[in-house]
Amino acid sequence: MATSQNPFIQADGKKPTCMEMLQTILDGEATREQKDYFKQHMDGCMPCYKEYNVDMAIKELLKAKCCGGNCPEGLVEQIKAKVNSTIA
Amino acid sequence: MEFEDAPRQHYSETEKQGIFNNEFMPHIHSMYNFGYRLTLDRDDAKDLVQDTYLKAYRFIESFQKGTNAKAWLFRILKNSFINDYRKKSKEPSKVDYQEVETYYNSEEVDRQITPDLRVESLKDMIGDEISNALNSLDVDFRTVIILCDLEGFKYEEMAKILDIPIGTVRSRLHRARNLLKEKLKSYAKSMGYNNA
Ligand SMILES: [Zn+2]
Repeated sequence: MATSQNPFIQADGKKPTCMEMLQTILDGEATREQKDYFKQHMDGCMPCYKEYNVDMAIKELLKAKCCGGNCPEGLVEQIKAKVNSTIA
Repeated sequence: MEFEDAPRQHYSETEKQGIFNNEFMPHIHSMYNFGYRLTLDRDDAKDLVQDTYLKAYRFIESFQKGTNAKAWLFRILKNSFINDYRKKSKEPSKVDYQEVETYYNSEEVDRQITPDLRVESLKDMIGDEISNALNSLDVDFRTVIILCDLEGFKYEEMAKILDIPIGTVRSRLHRARNLLKEKLKSYAKSMGYNNA
């Protein structure tokens, strides 16, 4: 295993906190290298491991419960009719 | 209304119809859900979505064909909501942005990582708990969660949709996640997870 540089380190050289790394992952902004680094980091950091699992479970729950399905029936036709009447 | 400083396009009526039907309409379900999560009312959401699509058609020449239609539509919907609905309900924004920025930059953040909500208690939230928790957040916090976690927008897209800097998107998301967790924690407690 290469002693790789922390890919979360910004241009200003500031060392990222656990929280900052975790947020980049959760927000879907992490690069491949950052994801790999964080996975290894979690092996040795119990708080990150636990928090990551809780946060991912919340994300899954949100997706499963808050996406709301389809828009009300007839809305598409209603919009199309209105648009067509503005053209005419 | 334009997204960036894209030059004004010129489309024929057929092209306009094509863009509208093929690039705008496929997002109607996401748009409706966004409208509902903002207004928390199904009829208002319907009106908001309809207004948004009519505006999108009226301003279609400031949309560049083949670019990010979803982000463009979300931005129009968000602006319509602020201008037409938020004013009506006179709901003041409770988010103190200055406070959010300093909050995030403080040393406090690392201490926050002590998890006190457990995956097992989340697994039992099979009803409306998560939806109610989300809806209870202040609209600015609710919005970033919707855009990021439900719709998968990137920081850059969210910054454009919301007209705020990327740093603010990030700090607002951080704060929103914590507030949501607080809510879920209290639900977990009421469900009998005393150690939740
Ligand atoms: Zn850590």
